[in-house]
Amino acid sequence: MSELNNITIPEIATITEIKDEIIEVKTFYLSFDGRQGGQPPKFTSGQFVMCTVFGSGEFAVSLPPSPENDRFHLTVRRVGKVTNALHSLKVGDKVGIRGPFGNGFPFEEIKGKNVIYVAGGIGFIPLRSSIMRVMQNKDQFGRVLIFLGARTPQEHMYAYNIKEWKNTPGFEMNLTIDNPVPGWDGDTGFVHTLLKKKNIPVENTVAFVCGPPMMFNAVIKELTELGIKEENIISTLERHMKCGIGKCQHCAVGRTLVCTDGPVYNYKQLKTLGEQF
Amino acid sequence: MYLINKSQVLDIAKELQKEYQVYGPVMEKEAKQCMFVKVDDIAELDLNAPIPAKPPKHALFPQFERIMSYQYDKKNQKVEIKPDFDSSKKALFGLRSCDLTGVLCMDRFFLGQEFVDDVYKNHRKNMFIVTNTCNVPFKQCFCVCTDSGPSAQEGYDLNLTDLGDQYLVEAGSDKGKALAEKLGLKNSDDSHKKAKSEVIDKSINAFDAIAKDNKAWISRVVNRVTTGLIDEKVWEYIGNQCIECGACSFVCPSCTCFNIVDPVTGPETADRMRTWDSCSYEGYSRMAGGHNPRKPVEDRRSKRFFCKLSYSQSKKYLRPGCVGCGRCQWVCPGDIGLPNVVTYIRRDIQK
Repeated sequence: MSELNNITIPEIATITEIKDEIIEVKTFYLSFDGRQGGQPPKFTSGQFVMCTVFGSGEFAVSLPPSPENDRFHLTVRRVGKVTNALHSLKVGDKVGIRGPFGNGFPFEEIKGKNVIYVAGGIGFIPLRSSIMRVMQNKDQFGRVLIFLGARTPQEHMYAYNIKEWKNTPGFEMNLTIDNPVPGWDGDTGFVHTLLKKKNIPVENTVAFVCGPPMMFNAVIKELTELGIKEENIISTLERHMKCGIGKCQHCAVGRTLVCTDGPVYNYKQLKTLGEQF
Repeated sequence: MYLINKSQVLDIAKELQKEYQVYGPVMEKEAKQCMFVKVDDIAELDLNAPIPAKPPKHALFPQFERIMSYQYDKKNQKVEIKPDFDSSKKALFGLRSCDLTGVLCMDRFFLGQEFVDDVYKNHRKNMFIVTNTCNVPFKQCFCVCTDSGPSAQEGYDLNLTDLGDQYLVEAGSDKGKALAEKLGLKNSDDSHKKAKSEVIDKSINAFDAIAKDNKAWISRVVNRVTTGLIDEKVWEYIGNQCIECGACSFVCPSCTCFNIVDPVTGPETADRMRTWDSCSYEGYSRMAGGHNPRKPVEDRRSKRFFCKLSYSQSKKYLRPGCVGCGRCQWVCPGDIGLPNVVTYIRRDIQK
């Protein structure tokens, strides 16, 4: 039984800082009004919260890295009515938060393994929390390979993290953009095309994948062809959500609900759900 | 077990009205159909009315419901939230056993999972339920196929069975027993118990006669739906008859999907509303940005029947989600009420 007391009525939080990430994407730093030191409720990487923009509505959004090492923040792309309203808010404005909900990324189970992250566009946002957690415990993992795809160089998110990880020993960063542009000397082409070019480990490897449906399917195909086991390919799903607690049923995928059984699934589970992704 | 004279049976409702808002079956004279509604005048209640056109779920899961209101002061950057849960005392009088089963499905779904739904819990906590055994089947009943009738087995406070000139009154809870004692009902004996089982046997035979087509097939179809061994063409055929009106979900006693919206009620105030939703609507699973994982209508249709018949969903309700009331069959403008869907799948299996 859940011990959360905010599952129906949101908690109020104050926006303390707003950072522009890339075009149409902003990060909102939050302080919780009703909690000591503004600290968020306990959560784990891969979970999500329901964020209320007062007067507009509510949306589901993935959570940042861990609460100890970073201020609580939500990175949101402006895409619908509510996220547009969120983008119009200023520092000091209030939002409502329900959660955290969902199962979260595996961490203890993947210790000692090689880890591959493949993200397309804003699919990087949820994976970042897992990457950060692995980075803090780097000595317990094998090779860490990160593949990030974006349409243009300007659309590579969290430039400050990417810079840091590039200089982290044991981290192999691979960035790509869809089409060559002047001034870009890195890889070009869709992110799945990089996988076979780079010498990725197959044995004892876990792969995390998140991105738009087209990219997701292409990456899965490459990874399984390379011989990575289906249960070691892990993804997090995005679905239309209203309640977050397994009642409204909007996020049903096969026999499961993304909000309570997910949002993190491995590919072996996804295949049995009998739906398209 | 107790007895009450037919002419006095509404005294139970009158007694309940002192403490509860009473909901019950009322015949609409012009439309000539029965509605399950809140009543002020107990004399309007009709225990012989046919199964209500809409299930009683609106009493505990209203079609539109405010769950909180809030005020947001933009200038001073302040927000105040007022939760708004309805925990008023309600009595459901003359519930049919299929509808009671629907209520039990909702109980298990809203209260028995990982998260407990606060809104539903408040509706349900002060409720009194009086059920009414069906002596004759109505229109397209098939509760005998889904193990939900014609007589209620559990979950009621009082259960009524028509024995001719009097009703047998069974108490299913302490609350129900206290009420029967308070009314001074006389005790029944074994002959009445026997009379009840005769009434029910007769009733089951009458139900069987109209449902024989599907009786053995529901469990077979449950197996097929669970394992997914149904030809895509069958779902396409079913999907082609769906006009996405959502009526089947709205009249279903166990359909609980809802939407949450925040309508603005003033310059700086808004409500949070919970409204019924239906999986047949195209926008049901469409995300911001336009991606819709269930775009074709047959993908959405198959999910409704998956929800009602599959084993994995039955685990949540501890029984199949379908309670055999037959309402989806009356209201569907196409021809894809649940019994017909069973028939289509059956034809495919028999091919």
